[in-house]
Amino acid sequence: MLSQTDKAILADKNFQKLVSVRRRVSWSFLLFLLGLYLLYGLMSVYSPAVLAQPLFNHGVIPVGIVMGYAILFSTFFLTVIYVWIANSFFEPLEKKITGKEA
Amino acid sequence: MNINAIIMFFLFVSITLVITVWASKRTKTRSDFYAAGKSIGGMQNGLAIAGDFMSAATFLGVTALVYSTGMDAMLFIIGGTLGWAVILLLVAERLRNLGQYTFSDVVAFRLERKPVRTMSAIGSLAVAIPYLLAQMVGAGALIQILFGLPYEVAVVLVGVLMTLYVMFGGMLATTWIQTIKAVLLLVGGTIIGFGVMSMMNFNFSDLLTAAVNEHPKGSAIMAPGVMFTDTITIISIGLAFVFGTAGLPHVLMRFFTVPNARQARRSVAYAIGFIGYFQSLIFIIGMGAIVYVTNNPEFLNTDGNLIGGTNMSAIHLSKVIGGDLFLGFISAVAFATILAVVSGLTLSAAAAVSHDLYANVIRHGNSDRDTELKISRITTLVIGLSTMALAILLEGENVAVLALIALAIAASVNFPVMFLSMYWSKFTTRGALAGGYAGLGTALGLVVLGPTIWVTLFGFEKAIFPYLYPTLFAMLANLVCSFLFSVTDRSDRAQRESESFDAQWIQSEIGPVQEEL
Repeated sequence: MLSQTDKAILADKNFQKLVSVRRRVSWSFLLFLLGLYLLYGLMSVYSPAVLAQPLFNHGVIPVGIVMGYAILFSTFFLTVIYVWIANSFFEPLEKKITGKEA
Repeated sequence: MNINAIIMFFLFVSITLVITVWASKRTKTRSDFYAAGKSIGGMQNGLAIAGDFMSAATFLGVTALVYSTGMDAMLFIIGGTLGWAVILLLVAERLRNLGQYTFSDVVAFRLERKPVRTMSAIGSLAVAIPYLLAQMVGAGALIQILFGLPYEVAVVLVGVLMTLYVMFGGMLATTWIQTIKAVLLLVGGTIIGFGVMSMMNFNFSDLLTAAVNEHPKGSAIMAPGVMFTDTITIISIGLAFVFGTAGLPHVLMRFFTVPNARQARRSVAYAIGFIGYFQSLIFIIGMGAIVYVTNNPEFLNTDGNLIGGTNMSAIHLSKVIGGDLFLGFISAVAFATILAVVSGLTLSAAAAVSHDLYANVIRHGNSDRDTELKISRITTLVIGLSTMALAILLEGENVAVLALIALAIAASVNFPVMFLSMYWSKFTTRGALAGGYAGLGTALGLVVLGPTIWVTLFGFEKAIFPYLYPTLFAMLANLVCSFLFSVTDRSDRAQRESESFDAQWIQSEIGPVQEEL
């Protein structure tokens, strides 16, 4: 089924490295963000009082809103990191595998 | 009648028509029509993607949700942004590496073309058409209030413009219109948000305190539970946003307008920046509307309700911030937003018919270019005319259910099928069909049996399915059926499909490899 080129790529150490690192990075970033969102959702049902509580004594900004903005910033931050990893690590590997540099 | 709004709106329409004429001269091939010749850069595509997401529903609807429920709207604000993380981390680059013009290309990469394409084209249409209709009905009502035009005239105006853009300008015109509108909306949102914060001396705590003082529900808006209180509903909303966004055909189609996977990745990264920024503004705008609009007699009917309903809260706020001139600007931007989003939806529906159904299912993948393009243009015209007619019939109806159906189907049909075909080597045609149709049937069935249709429309006393959102159950139905029907598939076809996974996997990771050795 597989062409010679494809077989060579599958056996290529660089390809294996690319796949395993990309898999680890993507899924850990994603599970982290979805975990935070799930936590927020569950807290809004089971412990709304915690989300409603002001973050500081005598403050007025509730924990829920801080958490919401924190998740937005984390998404943005992880996006920047992912693009950085992709440009500086995945792309050179891809070039090595496809031989475009050679 | 708002003269400023009308002048600015005509200015926008003239520019878009010039763009359409320009784009029509550059739209000759299928790649031009469906994918703007794969010539769009990452940053512009990011703006256009953000524009697709920042619809009137997000800008006016989510602001209205903040305005009426306070913290509960955070679920929408976070979810709307997280959906893009799913696209960045799991979908965007692979989509570009594997497909041509539509996400069905990816699903049909190693599965049997005809049945799988038919199913994913139905999935695309089942998302695009209800969503389009919801936008049209909302647009008619909005334009009626903003410009004083009769509902039918407003619907026809939107319908005719979107049909012209797509028929003649294809993806190139649609992308430029979406880009311009995204910039206008970001600028408008920034001015409103900045205006609110400056009136509060840039003190966020003061804004929240003032909102609690003005809001009829008082401090309840600084706690969850004004609107959403049960786990199933909250999880369904979350799933619809997180996975539904990655199943919207008009959004996925944008990843084919860039030259390579690298630009696809940059597109989402920019889009996340713009969308995250805009979502952060929405909360401030909603809080500002609570403070400056809720008890302002200028914006209230004689019965004490907001003129035009809560969806108008952002628009009223713009008048507080910048007077009639800025109100005119924001009204024109709201109209532009609707136009740009319905154009993208129409194009994705037309592509599902001409590229997926006609070219690949009926013509087995060898259609000639001119006929295929003619078919996509005729489809555009048919979609334009029929949605105009339906939108006029649906005047005054509650169309929220249509948007609900669209996102639920995107999350329970399109996304799981695309995801499994990309990542699971044992996924077979039989599994894809069983899963896709099970997701579709469950989503539609539960919406019909749910509170919106069973109780409100049919007039039964109690809904058979008690929850508003079907996404959790419909997604599960898809995944369970996909799994069961794939692992029990012992056919030769299943064997072949599973063997071709490695080649697909390689292409999804590093793009098409030229066989020049």
